Parts: sequence; structure tokens; C-alpha cells
Amino acid sequence: MKSKFAAGLLGVLLTCSLVAAQERLRMSTTTSTENTGLLNVLLPPFEKECGCKVDVIAVGTGKALKLGEAGDVDVVLVHARSLEDKFVANGFGVNRRDVMYNDFVIIGPASDPAHVKGAKTAAEALKRIAAAQAVFISRGDESGTHVKEKEIWAAAGINPAGRWYRSIGQGMGEAIMMATEERAYTLSDRGTYNAFAGPKTDLVILFEGEKGLFNPYGVIAVNPKKFPHVRYDLAMKFVDFITGPAGQAIIGQYQVAGKPVFFLYKAR
Amino acid sequence: MGFIAESVRTALSLIFSADQDVLAAVRTSVGVASWSVLLAALFGIPIGLGVGVNQFPLKRVVIVVLNSLMAMPTVVLGLLVYGLVSRQGPLGGRGLLFTPNAMIIGQTLLAVPIVANYTLSAIKGADVRIVPTALTLGAGSLRSMMQLTREVRFGIMAAVIAGFGRVISEVGVAMMLGGNIRWYTRTMTTAIALETSKGEFAFGLALGIILMVVSFSINILLTFMQESYQP
Amino acid sequence: MKPPQYHLRGIRASYRANLALEVEELTIDSGRLHILAGPNGSGKSTLLNILAFLMKPSDGEVVFAGTQVDWQRKQLASLRKRVTLLHQHSFLFSGTVSANVAFGPRARGMTTKEDVRRAVNESLAMVGLDGFESRDARHLSGGEARRVALARALACKPEVLLLDEPLSHVDKESAQIIETLVLSLSGQGTTIVMSSHNEQFAQRTEGRVIRLLDGRVESMVEGNGKAPSRDLDGYSYAKL
Repeated sequence: MKSKFAAGLLGVLLTCSLVAAQERLRMSTTTSTENTGLLNVLLPPFEKECGCKVDVIAVGTGKALKLGEAGDVDVVLVHARSLEDKFVANGFGVNRRDVMYNDFVIIGPASDPAHVKGAKTAAEALKRIAAAQAVFISRGDESGTHVKEKEIWAAAGINPAGRWYRSIGQGMGEAIMMATEERAYTLSDRGTYNAFAGPKTDLVILFEGEKGLFNPYGVIAVNPKKFPHVRYDLAMKFVDFITGPAGQAIIGQYQVAGKPVFFLYKAR
Repeated sequence: MGFIAESVRTALSLIFSADQDVLAAVRTSVGVASWSVLLAALFGIPIGLGVGVNQFPLKRVVIVVLNSLMAMPTVVLGLLVYGLVSRQGPLGGRGLLFTPNAMIIGQTLLAVPIVANYTLSAIKGADVRIVPTALTLGAGSLRSMMQLTREVRFGIMAAVIAGFGRVISEVGVAMMLGGNIRWYTRTMTTAIALETSKGEFAFGLALGIILMVVSFSINILLTFMQESYQP
Repeated sequence: MKPPQYHLRGIRASYRANLALEVEELTIDSGRLHILAGPNGSGKSTLLNILAFLMKPSDGEVVFAGTQVDWQRKQLASLRKRVTLLHQHSFLFSGTVSANVAFGPRARGMTTKEDVRRAVNESLAMVGLDGFESRDARHLSGGEARRVALARALACKPEVLLLDEPLSHVDKESAQIIETLVLSLSGQGTTIVMSSHNEQFAQRTEGRVIRLLDGRVESMVEGNGKAPSRDLDGYSYAKL
């Protein structure tokens, strides 16, 4: 009796993680994209349409592209134009398409000790932070956000160093939480900030709107010539969906805390 | 304190509403951990037995190495297996990365040293008369070993429980090899990591509470089963 | 003429860096009762372990029923099926009495539940423990435990039964049962070697008494006081 129970229990435990076999499309994307929650509304209609399941692996931009370079995923959705172009130029990706865009903002405590508000450019804003030695949280993970941040420091002619400049090597969410905790400044994409503003952070936007803070998203299928095993068919289905009317409608209408997160390119 | 109370409330509401995400994560955690421990026992118990019972040169060295492997950082093990199963790696052809199977491979490797060591301890603490008694009653080596295993079964069950505890609570291997894919490779622990990264601390703790309840329940079941087993 | 059960020659055995046993020549006859007498530390247990093929002597040769023992795993496995040792402080496996007694038969390939049950009942009856089948082996009195261990050994139906101090530290009733059983078994052709402190028991029996002292065979006499006769297989014994 007891041994039957034991066998039964073992059977239950072992079958827990078994999944029905199904066509699976592997997509790597950034944590910030995932954190906006967009994929939770974008993917189900796509999965229904293609009769497949999408495995989303959310990591930093650098790693998302590296996964594509290794052939460990079938399609890549990131927001780091220069890196994306290199990715395609090196033959790892094909059919890059623009999907949507948003922008970066500099956030910080409402008390704004470094007087960022009123700066004319992003570079000037960062200069003021460096001058005040106000704590600044950097993602430090070669993500699109981090790459942009480095560009602005370079434009400001500053090499940030010192105890006030904290490079944490983590995602946007962690950066915002740490900045909230430390009453610090950081550069964030608007989408993630909107998702956090209110319940999780009381930091406010202190600088926005500059052309240089433009943050475009691109989708790229991994090159089937280089990696014959990738699901190129499913990848292209996804590319077509996300740039087609159905996907674009979902993206355009997506909001977090009553505010839009992504913006569409003008109608083609 | 309020944050903990909120977590408990959230945990209860997640359980009673049978939240799909939570259920999926629990099932993945339990399933992957169970397979890993099963495989780890298959390899670890004979290793512990073999080392414990036999005399051979370098026995002390082997024991020290086995001991040290228990402290293997999960991220390091995750990286090593990642290198093997990624498409670029030697075992890449099977598309293992970012599947539950890859997690099982990693967690099995994590648990084998634990199971082996606990088994080894159990053997060391076993009555020295067991094997000679079995032998003189006509048993061959295999049967004697099985009788020895039976006599130290509490120690071996402790080994299995320890292994289970280690793998169901770890996040490094699961995250690196599974990719935290929703409903597929997202475990309780990687879900907690995700929620914390989003700043959802109370939610993360709620998941943690659920994980501990599940883990304790399984341990209690295993302990209860072993105690009523009569050879 | 049957070959002797055992013939030992030039045996040396150590226990923890001390020479525990040194026997130049010893013969154990088939089907007879032999009693190993001598104080503690005289080497009785060591000798029994060698005869049980549980311990390999560092020197010397052992011939069992005409075959040289090469101490290789394969041969030992088959030899141990013919010789059973009842240890001085015998270890009962966890579980029921029945599980213990059934161990020998099962190790010899007996699988049918009925056959096993019959074998167990038979052996338990021999030691006067009918009805003890489902008892927990860990919850027995000293005497009962000893008798179960004996039943377990008997269930093996061995050619040679070795017993290390089977009568020590048991109650009178158990001792009586064991003694009677041992004597009747030797009468039925089983070779028996048992160690005993009990001088009177040694004298009472018709068995051969082998006296050990400091790891050596001191003397060998017939149980009822007779001195060794030369015509017993022509082997000479003892070294003083």
C-alpha cells in the first residue's frame, strides 16, 4: 500500500514539468522590453495565429544579440541600432525591421540636488550630476540604455568615476529600485519608468525630449544560412506580425499606468 | 513588518485563486527538481557506496574532492553546462539550452555530490557487522551492498532530501540554463528573481512563501514514506 | 574416505598489527563437532573468521574439502554459501524476524513466497521460536535474538556451521535450546566448529576440543577426556 503511494507520488512529481510538444519560436529580447509587459499582450494573438509557442528569453541587449550570434534563438527584438547593424553586417541576422520607438529619460529625486531640471541638453544634465557628485546609477551591462548613457557622457566630455558613480551590471528595474533607495539619478527608458512610476518609485523625470535620447526598437531574424536549425519560418511570421497592422495596433494602444509606452513609425 | 504581512496575504490569494503563472512555476520547480534528484540518486548513491565501502589508493583525496564539490557555486556550474549545451558547444546540436532538460542536467550535476556525500557518511556510520553478516549468510557482493543500503536507508533518504532541498531552492542553474521562459522554464526561484528585479518585493516574498510551503510538504511526505517502509 | 573439511597449513593472521593467530597445521574433520577453547584473545574468533572465509590470512594455505582456497572473489562467493558463521555479537538486520531468517534462502535463489515461508517456519521451530515471524528483530531479548541469529544461520543449510561463543550471555532456557540443537546437528553430519568458554560443556560432548593460547594451538583432545589418537587421518597436531 505504502509503496504504491510512493510510486504514485514519484509519478506525479516527475510528470510535473513535462510539456506538450509544440512548435516553439525562441526569441531573445531585453529585460526592459519584457518589463513593460508589452509581450504579454502582443504574443498571445500571435501564438494563436501561428499555432506555436514563443519562448521569450529576456536578458541584456548584449546577451540578447550574443544569443543570436550563437544560434541559440531564432529571432531578436532589441533596441541598440548600432549593435543591430553590426549584427546584420556580420551575417548573423537578416530582414531587420523597425518596430516601434520610445525614448530615454533622466530620472532622479524630486528634490533634484544636482539641479538637473532646466538643463538644455542631456550632456549638460549629466555634467551637472558629475559636478555635484550626486549618486548616479549606471546599468553597466552593455545594454541599449547603457550604451546610450556612455554616448552622453562622451558628449559631455566626462569619464565618470568615483564613489558617486555606481555601475551595477543589472537590468533597468534593478537600477530604478536602487536609484529610488539611494535617492539617486539614472538614465531609464520611458517604458520601464512608466511601469515603475507611482507604486514602486517616487523618482521623477528631470530631463527628456532630446533627439539624442531617441530609442528605436528593431526585430531581426537569425540568419538561417548560418544556422540551418533556426525556425526561420516562424521567425518571419513573427516579424511580419509585429510590423503588420495587427501587431502595430496592439503596440500603439499599449499603455502602462494610463500612459503610452511605445510609439509607432508613421504609416508606411 | 507590513511588507511581510502583505506578502502572506498575497501568497494566500495566489494559492486560492489558483493563479496560472504561479501554478506553472510550481510545476516546473517540482518537476525539474524531482527528475534531478532521481538522476542524482541513481549516480550519487552508488558513488557514495563505492567510496565508502572500498579501500583504494587516493581514497582520502577522492573524499576531499567529493566534499568540496558540494560547495560548487550554482552560477559556475550553470556556466559550465551552458558552455556545453549552447549551440556553439559540443552538445549544442540537440537544442537543449533554455529547456527544462538543460535545467535537469545542471541540477543533477549539482545534486550528485550532495547525495554521494550524505550516502558516504551514512556508510561510514553503519555497523561494521552488516556486510560480513550478509556475506556469511551466502550473499554475493551486490546483495550485501543492497542490504547495507537498506540498513542505512534513513541516511540515504536524508541524502535525497538534502539533494532535493538544494535543487528546488537554487536559482543560478535554473536561470542560466532555463532562461526563465514564462510557463516553460520559469521556476519559483527564477520567478522570484524576476519579481525582485521589477521591484515587486512583496510579490516575490509571496512566491517565496509558496515555494517553502511546497518544499516542506514534499519533504514531509518523503520522510513519512521512508518511515513506514518495511523491507 | 571423505577428505577433511578443512586443512590449514602455515597460517599467520594479524589483527591490528598484532599477530593474532599462528597455526602450523590444523585439520577439521567433516561431520564432527569441534570446540575451540581458550581465554579471550587467544585467537578463537580470528580462526573462525578464516574458516568462514571472511578473513584472509596473511600467510599460509587453506584447503577446503579437498580444494585449495585461492581467496578470489568468485570462489569465495561459492564457498561462503557452504559455510555460515554465527558471530559472537550477532547483528540482526532491521526488519522482521522472518526477513532475517529468510535472508539465507533468498540469497540462494529461493523466490516463491510459500517456499520462503516454509523455510523460515522450519528454522524458527528448530530454535523454539514458532510464531516469532512478524516480530521486530530489534525488539527481542538477548536469548531470543541469539536464537533468531541461529535460525537465520540454520536456514542456510550449511555444510559447515561455525559459532562464536553461542552460549555466552544468554538466559538458561535459550542456552539449553542452543546446546541441544548444536549437539543434534553434529550428529546429523554437519561439521561444527564452535568456540566456548564453558569448560564443562567442552568436557560433556564427544566433540574434539582444540585449545588455543596466545594465537597458537596448545592441545587437541577428544571431548570425553581422551588424548588424540594417531590414526585420525595420520595428521599430527599442536605445537606447544
